Amino acid sequence: MPQTHQLSPQEEQEKLLDEAMQVVKVQSFQMKRCLDKAKLMDGLKHASNMLSELRTSLLSPKSYYELYMAICDELRHLEQYLHDEFQKGHKVADLYELVQYAGNIIPRLYLLVTVGVVYIKTHEANRKDIIKDLVEMCRGVQHPLRGLFLRNYLLQCTRNILPDCEESEEFGGTIKDSIDFILLNFSEMNKLWVRMQHQGHTRDREKREKERMELRILVGTNLVRLSQLDSMTQDFYKKNVLPGVLEQVVSCRDYIAQEYLMECIIQVFPDEFHLQTLNNFLRACAELHKQVNVKNIIIALIDRLAMFAHRDDGTGIPNDIKLFDIFSQQVATVIQAREDMPTEDIVSLQVSLINLALKCYPDRVDYVDKVLETTVDIFNRLNLQRLESSSAVNKELARLLKIPVDVYNNLLTVLQLDHFSPLFEYFDFESRKSMTAYVINNALDNNMYIPTQKQVDSILTLVSPLIQDQNDQPQEEEDPEDFAEEQTMMGRFINLLFTDDPDQQYLILTSARNHFGNGGNRRIKYTLPPLVFNAFKLAYRFKEVAEEDDKWDKKCQKIFRFCHQTIGALIKAEYAELSLRLFLQGGLAAGEIGFENHETVAYEFMSQAFSLYEDEISDSKAQLAAITLIIATFERMSCFGEENHEPLRTQCALAASKLLKKPDQCRGVSVCSHLFWSGKTIESDGKEIRDGKRVMECLKKSLRIANQCMDNSVQVQLFVEILNRYIYFYERGNEQVTIQVLNQLIEKIRDDLPNLEGNEETEQINKHFQNTLEHLRMKQESPEPDGPTYEGLVI
Amino acid sequence: MSFLFGSSAEIDIVLDGQASRKQAEIKTEDGKKEKLFLYYDGETVTGKVNITLKGKKLEHQGIKIEFIGQIELYYDRGNHHEFTSLVKELARPGELTQSTTFDFEFIQVEKPYESYTGANVRLRYFLRVTIAKRLTDVTREMDIIVHTLSQYPEMNNSIKMEVGIEDCLHIEFEYNKSKYHLKDVIVGKIYFLLVRIKIKHMELAIIKRETTGSGPNTFNENETIAKYEIMDGAPVRGESIPIRLFLAGYDLTPTMRDINKKFSVRYYLNLVLVDEEERRYFKQQEITLWRKPDKGATKKPGYVSFTPHSQQVES
Repeated sequence: MPQTHQLSPQEEQEKLLDEAMQVVKVQSFQMKRCLDKAKLMDGLKHASNMLSELRTSLLSPKSYYELYMAICDELRHLEQYLHDEFQKGHKVADLYELVQYAGNIIPRLYLLVTVGVVYIKTHEANRKDIIKDLVEMCRGVQHPLRGLFLRNYLLQCTRNILPDCEESEEFGGTIKDSIDFILLNFSEMNKLWVRMQHQGHTRDREKREKERMELRILVGTNLVRLSQLDSMTQDFYKKNVLPGVLEQVVSCRDYIAQEYLMECIIQVFPDEFHLQTLNNFLRACAELHKQVNVKNIIIALIDRLAMFAHRDDGTGIPNDIKLFDIFSQQVATVIQAREDMPTEDIVSLQVSLINLALKCYPDRVDYVDKVLETTVDIFNRLNLQRLESSSAVNKELARLLKIPVDVYNNLLTVLQLDHFSPLFEYFDFESRKSMTAYVINNALDNNMYIPTQKQVDSILTLVSPLIQDQNDQPQEEEDPEDFAEEQTMMGRFINLLFTDDPDQQYLILTSARNHFGNGGNRRIKYTLPPLVFNAFKLAYRFKEVAEEDDKWDKKCQKIFRFCHQTIGALIKAEYAELSLRLFLQGGLAAGEIGFENHETVAYEFMSQAFSLYEDEISDSKAQLAAITLIIATFERMSCFGEENHEPLRTQCALAASKLLKKPDQCRGVSVCSHLFWSGKTIESDGKEIRDGKRVMECLKKSLRIANQCMDNSVQVQLFVEILNRYIYFYERGNEQVTIQVLNQLIEKIRDDLPNLEGNEETEQINKHFQNTLEHLRMKQESPEPDGPTYEGLVI
Repeated sequence: MSFLFGSSAEIDIVLDGQASRKQAEIKTEDGKKEKLFLYYDGETVTGKVNITLKGKKLEHQGIKIEFIGQIELYYDRGNHHEFTSLVKELARPGELTQSTTFDFEFIQVEKPYESYTGANVRLRYFLRVTIAKRLTDVTREMDIIVHTLSQYPEMNNSIKMEVGIEDCLHIEFEYNKSKYHLKDVIVGKIYFLLVRIKIKHMELAIIKRETTGSGPNTFNENETIAKYEIMDGAPVRGESIPIRLFLAGYDLTPTMRDINKKFSVRYYLNLVLVDEEERRYFKQQEITLWRKPDKGATKKPGYVSFTPHSQQVES
């Protein structure tokens, strides 16, 4: 049984196209043969037969296009032949009339166009009348596909021969005739193209729209052709071209066409033309079909003009064109005219406006603010609530607000935008926070100092999601690492709150203190310490200007009160170690600055540190670390008189000896020894007190404590450490330390070391010891001239 | 046979100025075309009749030449209706002894109708020379062609009409004239006021209607002379489609109305719209064709256009 093979639509198309191509091949061959033999009428007959293939309704646009291209190729032969004949003077009378006897309209009009072009090229007839006639006669083809291609043929053939001058040469016509010609062709083509949308079954809509997209270039070519007219001027464009084009675009009421053509207009005509016709163009935008994405069109235009304003060779935007005002006004009209425009699109438009303002008028901050104000107004009118961070509007709004941040790279300029921060209110918590972080990061990246209290106040108000808890904050705790990173960033930012004017700086600090003080226990750990440090720094600065500012003493006291109180906040939040360190730092600073009353202040800070040590620090390791720090700080200070120094150093020694663990006691006491050597008092006139006896007592005491240690390994380690201190003081010239004492201790260590278990720890202790001995050996071999002698030392 | 019936002779009619006289084509009854000398109404017909003797002499009862205009209806072959019949005697009864040439002259002959060969009727003009003889006359006929010329019609309104099928199709068409000469061009426009049918294409046809007979014996013969596609595809409301049809290329005659009460030839423009189901919607309008004197080439160019007196219908 024979199988009937069902052709797929694609195979069907190929077959149809193939058949048509065969006919074209045969007929064009015949045509050329007849032309070679100078049988014009027969040649025309074959040309007409060939052209009849274009009458088909069976081909898809793609196949039809292929067929069309093949036929156009062949028609060029005919045109060339006629052209040559006419040039040679072999004119065929009434040829233009003759081809009109063809009974079918498609072949007739293709031939008419071909002959018409030959007439024009050989100056056989009035160019202006011919093009007018051709474009009029093409109305006879109302079938969209066939009409589009016919008119495209017309447009292609007349490409280089359209009148293109302002003054008519004889009867050749002027650019006005060309404009009329192309505009008419454009309107007719667009109508045909739009009509495709409404033909056929609704279920094929998608396919149809795809086909239309394939054909759009045919319509757009008209606009390209208009733009290629050399004598086109702005004036012509404004008066004769654009109104006609827009009228057609608006009245066709087809969103595919409108979207494409508006884009086309923007792309094909020069920026200078657009600048002259902004109002017209934008007004038309407001009238487009509601499905048209007007936003994209306007954005495309803005982007183009913004680029134009930036072009190196360009003259920029002419002064008489209030580009921003026009756009601002027209965009508002568009938004008003299109009630169903998605809010995110409205915001996108504002994004473009802001881009325009920034690119074309970089110094007009008020323009940027105007855009933001408009946005606020629109949001108010829409009665918008908090925007979900995942929503499109939210994303657009974030984009809008990031632009001034990114472009200015100057937080202070951003602060001049009155309507910048109100827009933050529309973000939900999450995006508000990320937006504020964005602002802060920008300031950090650009090392942007914030020099006045007022500015500091507005910024910190703006970024309050990073500073304190918010009403709309989610219940769950955030990721601790993220939180730490965020707050560290704020800590860095505090360093940017800086001005050269110390008084202003003080105001800045107090203002910042007020904001950050509300941060809650979790945040102040990160934010208050930098404030305190900045306050100390400020006190140093006041000291520098002491000669110019007679109130500097008072101011410094105020600063230390401020610090004291700030540290107090940290204590309340139970950050004892942190507070302790800050107190120590404060004591040190107060001592160094030496303002009136500084000793009392330093003493207060030190005693605060002590009480923190005593009341709040319970972990033994922390205690050792803390007392070491206190002792070390105290050792550095020289502001105390004996009256204050004595109780403090006694307190240190006492505290050290009261440590819980023996090794800690041992170490603490041995550290204390330094207080008696390099400590300074007012009485010592800033020089080290060098109380060798007391040093020795400390060291002996620590040795005693070491002896009490049960763990051999730890004990030997402590011995080595104490030996090092002995050596230190010996080298510093403490006469209480003798070679004998050293020898004794070295021997003791030598005896004990071998008894230790062989492990890594022992290895380290041994190494420490050997290094110490090596140091002594070197000193022994080459003693320093003014150093002590090592005679009698047994190594 | 000549010896039986007396010697015969050959007759030859030579028109004056034959070499320079225009000729025109006309169909013969069998459909072929022949070229004949062309005369107009009122024109004098002069020439010579050459009688070439075949024998020594020729006895005759008189020699005459007639100018005849007649209408032949094919279904009534026996009856020819002569509407013109002029006779000139060339020789009184007697004897010709040598080949002789006679001049003849029909001065300012009235030739009221145009020569015509149609489906059922023919209108012809011819010259007939008769040598009357006792038994059989010797005759010789020569056909000529007559073209009737008209002046520009004084009234020549455009044809404008709105037609339609309710709620279906509503169009307005306009032809620039109602009277066209044979080399004229029909220019016009079709406005679509309402289109609810799926039109596939539209064409304009020229139909010739030949009417013969009268009363119950009237015969109508329609012939489509031209079929001319003027639109491809389906228009929408508000479209206007141009028409431009050159007549010179078609085989047309002037409109003839009630020629000698025997026949008429009328022309119609038939506008036909064809929808996708091949249904045809049409409207016929009579146009009058007339022949314009040829006075050199004052032809209009091929792109003559039409200025509609009303603008395109607003959509």
